[in-house]
Amino acid sequence: MRSLSSYPANSGTSKCKQKEDEAIDLHLFSQFLITGIIMGVLYCLMSMGINFIYGIMKVINWSMGEFFMIGAFTQYILLTFLLGADYWYVGVILSALVVFILGALVQRILIKPMFVGIIEAKMEYATIVTISMAIFLRNIAVAIGGPKIYTPPDYAGPTQILTLPLSGNRLVAFIGALILLGLFYYFIKKSWTGRAFQGVAQNRSGVQTAGVNVLKYDMLAFGIGTALAGAGGALLAPIFLVHPLCGLVPTVRGFEIIVIAGLGSIPGILVAGLSLGIAESLGSAFISPSFVDIYGFILLVIILSIKPYGLFGKPEREV
Amino acid sequence: MKIFNLKNIGLLVLLIVAVFLPVVISDYWRFVLTIAFFYTIMAASWNLLGGYTGQFSLGHHTFAMIGAYTSTLLMQKAGAPFWVSIPAGILLTMIISSLLGVMCLRIHGIYLALITWAFAEVVRNYFRLHYAFTGGDRGIDSPLIFGTMKPTPYYYLFLGIAVLAIVLIAVIMRSKIGYYLRSIRDDPIAARSMGVDIVRYKIFVFMVASGLAGMAGVFYGHSIGLISPVMGDFNEMAMIIIFVVIGGMRTQAGPIVGAISVRYLMELLRAQSEFRIVILTAIVILIMRFFNGGLMELFRRLKKWIRRDREGPVSAYQELEQKQG
Repeated sequence: MRSLSSYPANSGTSKCKQKEDEAIDLHLFSQFLITGIIMGVLYCLMSMGINFIYGIMKVINWSMGEFFMIGAFTQYILLTFLLGADYWYVGVILSALVVFILGALVQRILIKPMFVGIIEAKMEYATIVTISMAIFLRNIAVAIGGPKIYTPPDYAGPTQILTLPLSGNRLVAFIGALILLGLFYYFIKKSWTGRAFQGVAQNRSGVQTAGVNVLKYDMLAFGIGTALAGAGGALLAPIFLVHPLCGLVPTVRGFEIIVIAGLGSIPGILVAGLSLGIAESLGSAFISPSFVDIYGFILLVIILSIKPYGLFGKPEREV
Repeated sequence: MKIFNLKNIGLLVLLIVAVFLPVVISDYWRFVLTIAFFYTIMAASWNLLGGYTGQFSLGHHTFAMIGAYTSTLLMQKAGAPFWVSIPAGILLTMIISSLLGVMCLRIHGIYLALITWAFAEVVRNYFRLHYAFTGGDRGIDSPLIFGTMKPTPYYYLFLGIAVLAIVLIAVIMRSKIGYYLRSIRDDPIAARSMGVDIVRYKIFVFMVASGLAGMAGVFYGHSIGLISPVMGDFNEMAMIIIFVVIGGMRTQAGPIVGAISVRYLMELLRAQSEFRIVILTAIVILIMRFFNGGLMELFRRLKKWIRRDREGPVSAYQELEQKQG
């Protein structure tokens, strides 16, 4: 899955070659650093969706990876059967839209009963239902798509930043993710709907007295959160490829980022996402690629043992 | 309190049936039941953790995998005998779970789920990628504990440890600790203000449940003969949750009934391999949405419905009402 970035660098260490090796090391180092930053931003997109849904509804959506997968599949189908490889950016928008509608429907049918007084144990209900939904969607994808890995057409050819070669797909995904994150931030901070979302995140009943239909905003929030994952899936389709389990790695990273950053903090997510991406990329390049998943987890363990609520999180009061 | 009441006699009859069942069924069904007992232990111990205490661990299957791999690797790479490797596997899962517990049980419940989920995927990917040591996706041969592929001895082994695990959980739930655990689930703040050391008991129950899962995993590896990272697949965790929810969460018999009946259903639906999980998850969603309680709640309502006219009055007022018609 993470093919190019996970080769061990640095093999020869004879003395006459040492100077050359140092130069190569620096070169490789900066290349893996850039890869790490790119992957970090993409993971941010994923965890932003999870965090947004948590902020509004206090529900963790465990089926985020499956919405990512649906986004990737939609993109693949759109590109191969309808749009053609040149219009991939239209495909990204359309697949985000499809996932938005699906997410809003799921919220309407399954998550909404939590807030209208039918369900007693809320966290338990949300966890079990969304986990079941994840397995449900995943196995439906296996049943329909088969155990195959689909490869969508490349978005862009290989490019260079100064002297560093770089996969065009990664660059495109990076820029796309930055645009999406920027739009999302602008939407939350500036628009009226975004301000209403901030209000709902702060105090549900308070904002209700101010005339905000909280249930409608829940549905919108779930749709937007899953649409971020779906757009991520569509953007990352040529890198992670399209198969029923392709959402797994980004979701694990998304959850790790949330724990590192602390639930409900937007700047924290950027910091945590970047540091996770860099730790992973450098670790797999310079230590050993077998442990690629462990570096992020070690980072998580270190941060949790220093700050139990994450870098930017605050202790939450449950009453 | 009578020891020979109807409930205990029923349990005894069930146990005797389970002991003599291998006489009448074929090897295939003995094996199916062995696997069902493995899942019974997993479901019952997860019910102790997720159901009674409200601590949603999503890495329960990973502890089984860690136990199985530890024991097998000790035997394969270091040449340890069974009586060293099996306790070592169980001990290691308990140590790892208590370390994880110390780290994330101090905080808000949802963090445990997040961290154990990340932990599960990390461990699974480690076992997949480090193939020189762990055998990778191909898996690793695990020495058989009875040296034979015949399922009968493994049936009795798993029946034994399943009974042991269920009795242990029943004892815990009937002791003082059981009340502490329930109070932690219902209201951690109130529990703490009543003097329950919630972090300590959370770590304790996490360790016990994970140790049980590790024990089940160790024996599972040594009775299947091949362990692979499939044991750590998230589908396994989902299966545990499916067993518990369909059987009935927060009931002692629920996980047992759920595991055995769902495994039976899965054997019947063998031909449709993906769709059986699709159907089961759909059932779980429907149960959670419309009928919280699963099979045990169904049994309870059925029992109530049968006993309806024999039920005595609850209060003097009700008695008066009944007399008046």
